[in-house]
Amino acid sequence: MKQNTFYLLAGITGLVEVGLFWLSVDLHNPLIITAGFIMGVGLLYVARLMITDVAEDERSRLITQKAGFRTLEVFWVIFFAVSLGTAVIGFSTPLGIPRPRGFPREFPRDQPYLGYFGILQMVLLCCIAFLYIAFRVYYARKYGEWDTDEE
Amino acid sequence: MKNRIKVYRAMRDLTQEALAQELKVTRQTILAIEKGKYDPSLELAFKIARFFGVSIEDIFLYE
Repeated sequence: MKQNTFYLLAGITGLVEVGLFWLSVDLHNPLIITAGFIMGVGLLYVARLMITDVAEDERSRLITQKAGFRTLEVFWVIFFAVSLGTAVIGFSTPLGIPRPRGFPREFPRDQPYLGYFGILQMVLLCCIAFLYIAFRVYYARKYGEWDTDEE
Repeated sequence: MKNRIKVYRAMRDLTQEALAQELKVTRQTILAIEKGKYDPSLELAFKIARFFGVSIEDIFLYE
């Protein structure tokens, strides 16, 4: 499989995922998008293994590993911090702990607030994707990905 | 770490692309090694040395 074919497949998969998401919303069934997303990502992982026109060697693998590791180092701190903050909101009212200043007066119990946390998680994941790209560019430059030929 | 890959490559009149194909790596990797931006793994260092028929110390100089 050529890399451009893979990108095309990724785009189609993305569109299908969007459709599954709204179908889930319409049917009030979160399992559809959850299972669909896992299957979509699994499909792309398998398809990526079948790409034949992109050469990968130890240097490119090192770049990917370093970028992934640095992203994870930042990601878990931010994600844990946000989760802790959300836990404070969750625990503050029922346990009678005084709410910190600046927090919303009413915890939105009559609304699907877990869904709001899911949106916050997706925003964080999008930011992490950009962070990974930034690290990837940094390490690619460091290890001479775009250096010009001296021959 | 310095290396003399460019010298050995010139002695054999090899392009970076040709050497990369022999070693099953990308041309950018050969370029990065020559410029000192990337230190190869021990396995690749042995492959390079064996390809040129010399010892690793002849090609790679640890500073």
